[in-house]
Amino acid sequence: MRARFAVSLAWRNVWRQKRRTFITAGSVATAMLLSLFMRSMQEGSYANNLDNATRFYSGYLQLQHPEFSESGSIDKLLPSDDAFLRRVQSIDGLTTAVPRLESFGLGAAGSKSKGVIVMGVAPEAEDAYSGLAARVRHGRYFAQGDENAALVGGRLAKYLEIEPGDELVLYGQGYHGATAAGLFQVAGIIDYPNQALDSRIVYLPLAAAQRLYATGERVSAWVLHGENVRGIPALEAAARATMDGIGPTNAGSPTDIESPLETAGTTNTRIRVRNWAEISPELEQQITLDRVSGQFLVLILYGIVGFGVFATIAMMTLERRREFGVMLATGMPRLRLIQLVLFESVCLAATGIALGLVITMPVLLWFYRHPIPLSGEIAAATEAMGFEPIIPFSLAPEIFLEQVQILVVIFAACSTYPMFRIWRLKAAAALKG
Amino acid sequence: MAIVLHDLTKIYNQDTDFPITAVDAVSLTIGAGDFVAVMGPSGSGKTTLLNMMGGIDRPTSGSVSIDEVDITGLADKDLVAFRRDNIGFIFQDFSLLPVLTAEENVEFVMQLQGHSASECARRAQELLREVGLEDRMDTVPAKLSGGQQQRVAVARALAPRPKFVLADEPTANLDAETTHGLLDLMQRMNENKGITFIFSTHDPRVIARARRVIVFEDGHVTEDRRQ
Ligand SMILES: Nc1ncnc2c1ncn2[C@@H]1O[C@H](COP(=O)(O)OP(=O)(O)OP(=O)(O)O)[C@@H](O)[C@H]1O
Ligand SMILES: [Mg+2]
Repeated sequence: MRARFAVSLAWRNVWRQKRRTFITAGSVATAMLLSLFMRSMQEGSYANNLDNATRFYSGYLQLQHPEFSESGSIDKLLPSDDAFLRRVQSIDGLTTAVPRLESFGLGAAGSKSKGVIVMGVAPEAEDAYSGLAARVRHGRYFAQGDENAALVGGRLAKYLEIEPGDELVLYGQGYHGATAAGLFQVAGIIDYPNQALDSRIVYLPLAAAQRLYATGERVSAWVLHGENVRGIPALEAAARATMDGIGPTNAGSPTDIESPLETAGTTNTRIRVRNWAEISPELEQQITLDRVSGQFLVLILYGIVGFGVFATIAMMTLERRREFGVMLATGMPRLRLIQLVLFESVCLAATGIALGLVITMPVLLWFYRHPIPLSGEIAAATEAMGFEPIIPFSLAPEIFLEQVQILVVIFAACSTYPMFRIWRLKAAAALKG
Repeated sequence: MAIVLHDLTKIYNQDTDFPITAVDAVSLTIGAGDFVAVMGPSGSGKTTLLNMMGGIDRPTSGSVSIDEVDITGLADKDLVAFRRDNIGFIFQDFSLLPVLTAEENVEFVMQLQGHSASECARRAQELLREVGLEDRMDTVPAKLSGGQQQRVAVARALAPRPKFVLADEPTANLDAETTHGLLDLMQRMNENKGITFIFSTHDPRVIARARRVIVFEDGHVTEDRRQ
């Protein structure tokens, strides 16, 4: 039997019961609409939130000294000179690279003191990247020539009882054992999106932080950003390739001095490329948990639809027992008959999936172009967390593939029973009806 | 060509307390080109006998040989191919595939035989002309009368050029006039083309048209006459 004849036969068999086929395809399509809507919204939000959230702290990627993440030591730094920056900027797919110098210290004002995280940032580049200036609630952002200005997290400011214009003393350990101590003036109070950090963060202009810690032209991290979240793996690979073979001290920086790593003879001298998930595992966990709960809902939905699909496919076969008997009797091999039933399942699945895409795509495209705006308190809360007050949608192919995979499994599972029945069918008995 | 039944026996429910011997040690020879009616009361075993002759059912004991081939010894796979190439089937309820047109129904078994599309179409159209349905080729069974459907079924049975045609009560669902029309058709095919027909029936009008009548009762041949 020619394949065209077989497929045509299967297709026509599927449409023998138009209503039943429509109902089944319709339920598959509805399940696709609901789950694609949810998953598209989820993934769109993750990508959006991730893009926003990573700007404040982890970036998509960070370049660090190989030992910085374990020790957090102010001795484990990377260069920040032009030669190094040029190298960083040659990473394929990179859109932004901002330097940061992060360390610990003790912040004191009046009779109060507290352990703080000091973050030295390049004022203009940082604002362009993370929108830090927009987070200033009182006072002002760094200005040109600000040598001793500091921005303080809102909760920290409250604890230390300081306001813009007040003085803040920072103590700590500087580069290679130097003592770090400096007097700063609070320029502004910021509202940091992460509460834990809001009660600990102090921003300084990069030059001021480098002076405080006596690090010279060095930073603790180069924070890298790319076009979009989907491109992170590629960006990571490109970053590794570009930084390959470059240690923290042989990056072509003439000002670099001895590296404790190299003198210790270890081979672990490569610059480390860390992605956002390594730097902020809690963020990744949060997304994974949310995604899994969404996928679980999708599975429940498809589980329900699966019963309908099973009933249809089972009926399509069981009600045609005699017809199958006739086909077997007249010389249709059993395997051909099983193949026919399989083709019928495929036709039914294809109809459902096609219908699903036809009703879902316009909806998703519309919401992709016009993300749902949030309003009222939710909008305010979202904005306060540093996110745009919208629910964006994703059109990532993976979401669609996920649905199709689930449906293929469902239809395959539902087809096994009819196929088994045909395998066992006796022509003489089937002819009796 | 000859169909030789030797000691053919079918016992249903053999392993239970109430075994049913539907066909009891029947030995028969049916020659090529014959036009045979198997008659007998309901439950006498006609269908069971025909199914075993056609290789649709396997006997409990005994053998069916068609042109010296003992089909009871064939593996399932070979038996399917043997049926496809050597035996045409006509059923009481016509049993056409409802989604296929008359022409496609006739082509079906030829498709299974692997003939080219054009060869299938050519032969199907030729056969449908012979059974008088040249203007119904693209019609689906639901839009054909019972008599027309059974004509398509005759064409379908003949399409693969079988050695013989088995028809289990082919006229049971037809009225008197249509029954005669169908018998005329089968007789014409038998006489012009030498195709062997074996059919079961209760109908005395049908029996009257047969050349050989085998009377079946309770699984036994009680009478075997030529007329
Ligand atoms: N699958 C089966 N299991 C058990 N008994 C069966 C089975 N098929 C047929 N029989 C029995 O075998 C006997 C012969 O049945 P068969 O169908 O061959 O008769 P028939 O002559 O074709 O009858 P009818 O004229 O009503 O079609 C009957 O007693 C029937 O009940
Ligand atoms: Mg019968």
